[in-house]
This record gives sequence, C-alpha cells and structure tokens, in this order.
Amino acid sequence: MPVNLALGHVSNDFLIAALVIYSLSVVAFAGDFAFGRPRRAGASGRVPQERAAALAAVGAAAVGGVVGADPALAAGSAGVLAPDGVQTPADDQVPGAGGGSGGTDSMPELAVPALRAIREAGAWVRAGVALSGVGVAAHIVAVVTRGLAVHRAPWGNMYEFVTALTCVAAIFFLFVMIRYRAWSLGVFVMGAVVLALGLAETLIYTAAGQLVPALQSYWLDIHVTAMTLATGIFFVAAALGAVYLIVDRYARRVAAGRAEPGNGIVRRLPTTEQLDRLTYRTIVFGFPVWTFGVIAGAIWADQAWGRYWGWDPVETWAFITWVLYAAFLHARATAGWRGRRAHYIQLLGFTSLMFNILVVQVFVTGLHSYAGVS
Amino acid sequence: MTDVRVSETDPFESAVPERDGRRPGNPGPAGGSFGTADWLKWAWRQLTSMRIALVLLFLLALGSVPGSMLPQEGTDPAGVQQYFTSHPALAPLLNHLGLFDVFGAPWFAAIYLLLFASLVGCVVPRTFRLAGSARTLPPRAPRNLARLPASAGYATAVSPAQAAEVAARVLSSHGFRLRRPAPTVLAEPTVLAEPTVLAEPTGAPDSGSGSGPGELEGHWVSAEKGYLREVGNLLFHLALLGVLVSVALGGLFGYKADRLLVQGTSFADTQTDLDEFYPGRLVTAADLPPFTVTLNTFEASYISSGAQRGQPNSFDAQISYTASSGGPVRTDRLEVNRPLSVDGAKVYLIGHGYAPEFKVTDARGQVVFDGAQPFISGTTGNFLSQGVLKVSGAQPEQLGFSGVFVPTAVDVDGTLESVFPAADNPVVSLIAYAGNLGMNSGPSQSVYQMDTTGMKQLTAAPQLLRVGQSLKLPDGQGTVTFTGYQQWVSLAITHDPGQLPALICGMAALGGLLLSFVVRRRRVFVRASTSPEGTTVHVGGLARTDASGSFEDEFASLAAELRSAHQQAAQDQGVPPSAPAAPNRHEGE
Repeated sequence: MPVNLALGHVSNDFLIAALVIYSLSVVAFAGDFAFGRPRRAGASGRVPQERAAALAAVGAAAVGGVVGADPALAAGSAGVLAPDGVQTPADDQVPGAGGGSGGTDSMPELAVPALRAIREAGAWVRAGVALSGVGVAAHIVAVVTRGLAVHRAPWGNMYEFVTALTCVAAIFFLFVMIRYRAWSLGVFVMGAVVLALGLAETLIYTAAGQLVPALQSYWLDIHVTAMTLATGIFFVAAALGAVYLIVDRYARRVAAGRAEPGNGIVRRLPTTEQLDRLTYRTIVFGFPVWTFGVIAGAIWADQAWGRYWGWDPVETWAFITWVLYAAFLHARATAGWRGRRAHYIQLLGFTSLMFNILVVQVFVTGLHSYAGVS
Repeated sequence: MTDVRVSETDPFESAVPERDGRRPGNPGPAGGSFGTADWLKWAWRQLTSMRIALVLLFLLALGSVPGSMLPQEGTDPAGVQQYFTSHPALAPLLNHLGLFDVFGAPWFAAIYLLLFASLVGCVVPRTFRLAGSARTLPPRAPRNLARLPASAGYATAVSPAQAAEVAARVLSSHGFRLRRPAPTVLAEPTVLAEPTVLAEPTGAPDSGSGSGPGELEGHWVSAEKGYLREVGNLLFHLALLGVLVSVALGGLFGYKADRLLVQGTSFADTQTDLDEFYPGRLVTAADLPPFTVTLNTFEASYISSGAQRGQPNSFDAQISYTASSGGPVRTDRLEVNRPLSVDGAKVYLIGHGYAPEFKVTDARGQVVFDGAQPFISGTTGNFLSQGVLKVSGAQPEQLGFSGVFVPTAVDVDGTLESVFPAADNPVVSLIAYAGNLGMNSGPSQSVYQMDTTGMKQLTAAPQLLRVGQSLKLPDGQGTVTFTGYQQWVSLAITHDPGQLPALICGMAALGGLLLSFVVRRRRVFVRASTSPEGTTVHVGGLARTDASGSFEDEFASLAAELRSAHQQAAQDQGVPPSAPAAPNRHEGE
C-alpha cells in the first residue's frame, strides 16, 4: 500500500509541536526550581529509619520470636520515633485503616489526591505538568498518524524508533511524576526527552516510507513494540539514576565537609532513598518487557533467518544490556553494591542499550541493519 | 532476577546465614590449618556468593563485546578472512585468543559455566529452604503493631479470644498461612475451626529463645502470604538453566545447511547436493532427510520511484517439493519470514541474485557450456554481480571468463553502474582467458573464483554483451553468447531439536520473573486485648521492602474487612455495634 504523504506531514507537524511544548514544560519545571514555592522535600528522611527499625523488629521475630519481648528496645525505639511521625489520618473510604508512613514511597504529599497535589504545587509545576500533558498528547497523535500514513507499526526505522520510545518515556514519566508527586524530576526527564527527540529530528529524520520484506511481519509489531516500551522505561530509569547520583554525590560531599548543606536544588529533589526505590520499580517494570522483547526477537529470528539466536551484533548487545540490568537487580541485593554502585551498573546497561541503537545498528554490519540512516 | 541471594537486612530471610564470602565470621583460607576439603568448601562458598555471581555477570557482558566488534567465524567467515589480510600481525594473536569465535571459545564457556554453577549452588539450597518454609510457621505477632509500616486499630464488642478467632477466619479466607498462640498458654483454649490454621506446636523450636513471659500472653494471629514470589524467582533461574540445556541440545543434534538454487533447478537434501553442511556434534550426513525442492519461479519486486527507489518490496519464491518418504509433489511459496517445514527441517529464503546464462562453443565448434552461472552481488550496488565461468571441457585449451552482471546498466563516465536492482537493462561484461584452469590439482576451488595464473588473457578490455550478443574469441578459440539470465535464491535448511525446549524455558523464565516481581511476601498480625472500651483490635502488616506495587492498599482493605467482620460478629451476638471506632491512632500509646 502506498504511503499517505499528507498524513505523514500531519505527523511531522505534530511531532514538532510536541517538541516545542516539551521544551516549554522543561522551562516551566526549571522555573519551579528558580522561582517556585519552597517545598519540603525532607520529613521523609526520617521515615526510612523508622521503617528500618520496625522491619528489624519483625525480622528479629523470624529468628527467635523475641519481638516485643524486650521492653527496653521498644521503649528506646519509641523515644527515637517522633510520636506524630508515622501515621497519617486514614483515608475517607477506609476508616480505621491507616496507610502508615505516608504511603509506600515515603513521599509526604502522597495522601493528597493527585489533582489537588498538582494544584497545590505552585504555578510553575502546574504549567510544567499541563505542558507535559499537552506535549504527550501531541506526541501520541504524531506517532499514531505516522502509523496510519505508512500502514504499519510506526517503528520500522531508527527515526521512528526514537520518536516512539521517547513517547513511551514521556507517557511513563508523566504517570510516575503524578503518581509519586515527583515534580522536581520533570526538568531532568523531560529535558532528556527533549534532547533525544531533538537529536532524532535533526540528525536522523527519515521520511515516511515502506519496509523491506524482512520487516514485513507481525513480529515487528510484537518484538519492536516490546523493545520500544522497554527502552522508553529504561530511559526514565536512567534519568532517575542520574539524579540519584547527583543527590548522592552531594550528600557525600556534605558528609565529607566539602560542600555546604542545604543546597537549594538538592533540597527540592527526592531523597536518595526515594530515588533508589523509584528507579528500582521502573527497572522491575522494564526488565520483563525487555526479556519478552528478546524472546519475541528470538522467535522472529527463527522465522526469518532459520535460527533463534545467532550472536548477530544487535542480538549480542541486547544480551549485554539484559545481563547488565540483571546485574543491577542482583547488585541491589548484595552488600556493598547497593546504592551508588548499583546505579552505575544500570546506567552502564542503558549506555549499552544506546550504543546498540546508535552505533551497532548503524555502523556494524549485521542482520539488523534496518536503521535507514544514511 | 532480583534478590537471588538474600540480603542481610531482609526481615523475611534473616534466619538464613549470609551467603557472602567476606562475612567476618566466615573462615578464610588464611586462618590456621586448612585442608583440601576446607579449601573446596571455601571455593564453593566463594563461587556461590552474590559477589562472584555479579563479577561473572560482568565478565559475561564484557566477554560478549568482542563477539560483536570482530567478525565471527559462525556468522561472517569472509569477514574473518578479510581481517587476516588487512591485519596480518594482529589477526593470528586474536585468533589464538578465540576472538573470532568468541561464543564458542573455551574462556567464554568457562564464564557461563561458572555462572551457571554459581546459580545452581544458590538455587538448589533455596529450593530446599522454600520447601522448608512451607512447613514452618510465620513469626509470632510482635507486641506493638503500631510500629509496623502499616497499622490500624479499632474497638470491638466481641471478646479478645473471639476477635482473634474471627481475624484468623478472615485472614485464612485470603489464603494467608496462620500461626496462633499455643493452646497451652491460653487462658481459654480456642478450638480452631479452620483446618488450614496451624496452631503453634508445643515446644516449637523458637519458644524458648528469649521470649519474655509477657510474650505468650494475649490473643493474636500471625499471617503470612506470598510464597509464590520465591517460587517465581526459582522458576526463573531454573528456566535459564533449561535454556542453556536447550541450546546444547541444538548444538548436539541439530544441523544447518546452505544451498544456492537457480530458477528451474532442483536439489535433494543430501550432503553431496548441499553447498555447505554444518552438522551438530552427534549428527551425520545419514541423518539428513533427503527431501527434494525445485525452484519454479522467483520474483522480486522493488519500489520504482520516490526516495525509497530500489528498495525491495516483496520476494516470492514458488517451489515444489517432495518429502523424503516419497509421496506427492506439493507446491508452496517461500517468502522471507515464511519458511517451509518438511521432514522436521525448515527451509528458509535467505537471499537472492542473478545467474546470467551463457552458451560457449570451443575451437572445434562444439557447444561446451549452455546454462546459467550464478553471480554474487554485494550488499550495495543494485545487484551489480560478479562471477566466473569455467569451461573445463573446452578444447584444445580450457576457457575461463570472469564477468560482471549489471541488471540495469547505465554508463556513468565510462564505467558501468547498475541504477536499479531489477533486470531492466541487463548487460554482462566479460574478460576471456584460455589455458589451464588448474581444476585437476590442488585444493578444490570456489565456483565464484578463478585462478588465472596458468591462463592467458584473450581480450585486453572487458567486453560488453547484451542479451543475445556474442563475443568471438581471438584466434578462433571459440565464441561465448550471453543468452539471457535466471534468478537464484539462497536457501538455509535447518533442524534444531532444542528450539521448542528453548521456547518453553524462555516463557517459563518470563513467567517466573513476572511472578517474582508481582507477588509480594507479606505478613499481617492481629492482636486483640481488653481495654476500657471492651476489646481493642490492633492490626499491623509489612511487605518485603523492595516489593513493587503498593502493600498499603491491600492492607487497608484487609483491615477494613477485619473490622466489618468483627462488627458482624458483634451483631450476631446481639451486642449493639455502637462501640465507637477508635481512629487510626492508638490512644495511650
């Protein structure tokens, strides 16, 4: 079927619009840092300690059933805990059943409904969230119209792949940001989205077109869709990991006496604990999707090339990426590897993923040479 | 693939000794008399430690890198040859290190075998531990439930004993494993209604370990759920082992073969009739099912205009085939992404090209060649294809031609270029040789290359021929006529018995991964005690710290259900449900 050029142009226009609106949202999020209402990102630093104490207590129960048997310990802990610290008033729907510790992620604002939280976060955040939302809508329209123009899944070459994965990243981050009230991350993640999309637009733009026979398979819809989703999710995780390293580095500098405590930017950011948990959840979401994408790719390779795994360069790098993210998941459960080192590993994993897309698929000869970049 | 080896801060597994080699209490080889058995034990503990597993994972990733950066024997043997010519000093060294066959190299096998040994050393004990934990009870309810990550409290009109009873029923109906106080220490022993409820056995191993006398008082229920998380985690790792076994199965019992097939010709799946045959270690040529395949027609269509001009649109090979057991001739279509299954093997359309047809007569005027000769094209150049034609039967001297086939020829500044991959204006350009082709001695030759050392060139410049045109060789050596062209396809024939097991194991790994990520291990405790309002019920809960998803929601709905169950129980007893519900905060704590 011939390419619908008019629809292709509509798609291009919407993509440019999305890029512009995303840029404005980054400006708004940056404005929040510069001029926004001061927010309390603290209060949560204490919660993990409390939880750790409680966990240790019940964990001890698993060993010897000593919990509560030691009144001195209990009293000591009670002294440490702020009496009003842990429990928040119960939800309206469930009287008597408390959420405890202000929600899973110890973000203090989490008890407030999302819309109210956005309203209360200040004009800059309101603008940033609204612009991100409008940008995502334009981005989705751009991807969908591109798909309609070419009569197939709109991720058949590198340019389409990047536009689709940034769309996934933007949608996913919008969800994460609102779900966890993580407004301060907007400037970083949406900034990264703008950068990636802008580079795709200027460097590897490819006009709407048809696919070579090797790609004319419903496995394109399955394999590449999974890879696009996973890459978009890992994209967000990488941005979160980078913020983690910034906050962690600052905390260590303060601890070493080489930086003044109370940096205005870092104070607005979530704690390392929160960032670590958010990143972990993001990767826990992305890792099975990536695994599925690799398996789907193996099934397709078996259909197209007569073997399910042949160490083609792109396959090899997908494997390397998988191993590195698996190493991240293991590192988090290994003493001495949690925190900073684990995040270096996941950033290494994302680097290998980007290397696969940007270098291996373009410059290394293999069976996956469909980038369409000249 | 998370929390394979248990972290020390994990409250759910802290009874398990830490598996890290560097733990202070762990005797190292430095300490005193250390026998062989101790060394082995120490090495095994190191190997199965998480740190070593992490290092092996890194090595696996790192070791794969050269496999993608250097040409590999398995996927690109021509590239390896070229690397040897362009880097004569470096290539033998790299070859010695196995870097041209990384994924078959002993050092790479050592990495993944050690990794899998480490995995086995970790997974097997954990399987036993999981089986054990299915028999052991959850811990006792802690005294102060308000200190747990999630907690709730309310008053009820039923007695503490009954409140605990109701709570046990509710939690059990949600599939929690329960633990109740030992009947012997209770003032009024509760008869348990639910058969699934496990009463604490008298003299449980932990009953004497530091429990204060206050601990055993009161009415409480401990409940635990989410063992499937560990099941999923174990399934994932075992399935990875299964994938490795499946790959090995394919390497032992599978085979792969290549065959170039010109339009209008046939081949049988026998070793002599195949171009290349790569058998598995336990496969011989006798294991091949000798089915036959004929290529009737092949059509490739290309985009003819626009920016994508010349890009292929579709490939369509019409074939007929007969299974090796005989039977009827069947016809089918081979396309990319659409292989043919026959006799347990699969036949794939991998590539295609042109085979110009020539008719050669020698000096005696005899036709010594009349047929198609496949030419090979590179990845670029619109199927500008190169090849040779060796006419060993020509007399008095053997004849040879090296040529170029140009499907859509255009003269660009004196050189021929192909501007479109379809054969719209086919031209061949030939250089003729006469002499000894050298085919009777020395190693066997490629049909795409010609050794011209023993031959003399008959034509100074390449001679252009269109379809139907002939070239008269000087000195009456004969003529060659370009009579037309055929297309050829390259086929891959594969058989891999490990394929289905690998798929099953892959899906099992994915399922296990999802299970281990989605399911949370969590504990809920209920304590009922007498208070001025009647009975106060405290509910507390916690989930494994790194769990995904929100335990709070589940806990809130559980607490609400417990509360309404207690209200219901009070109503059934005729006690008015007027007892004011305490808010979430506990008074007096």
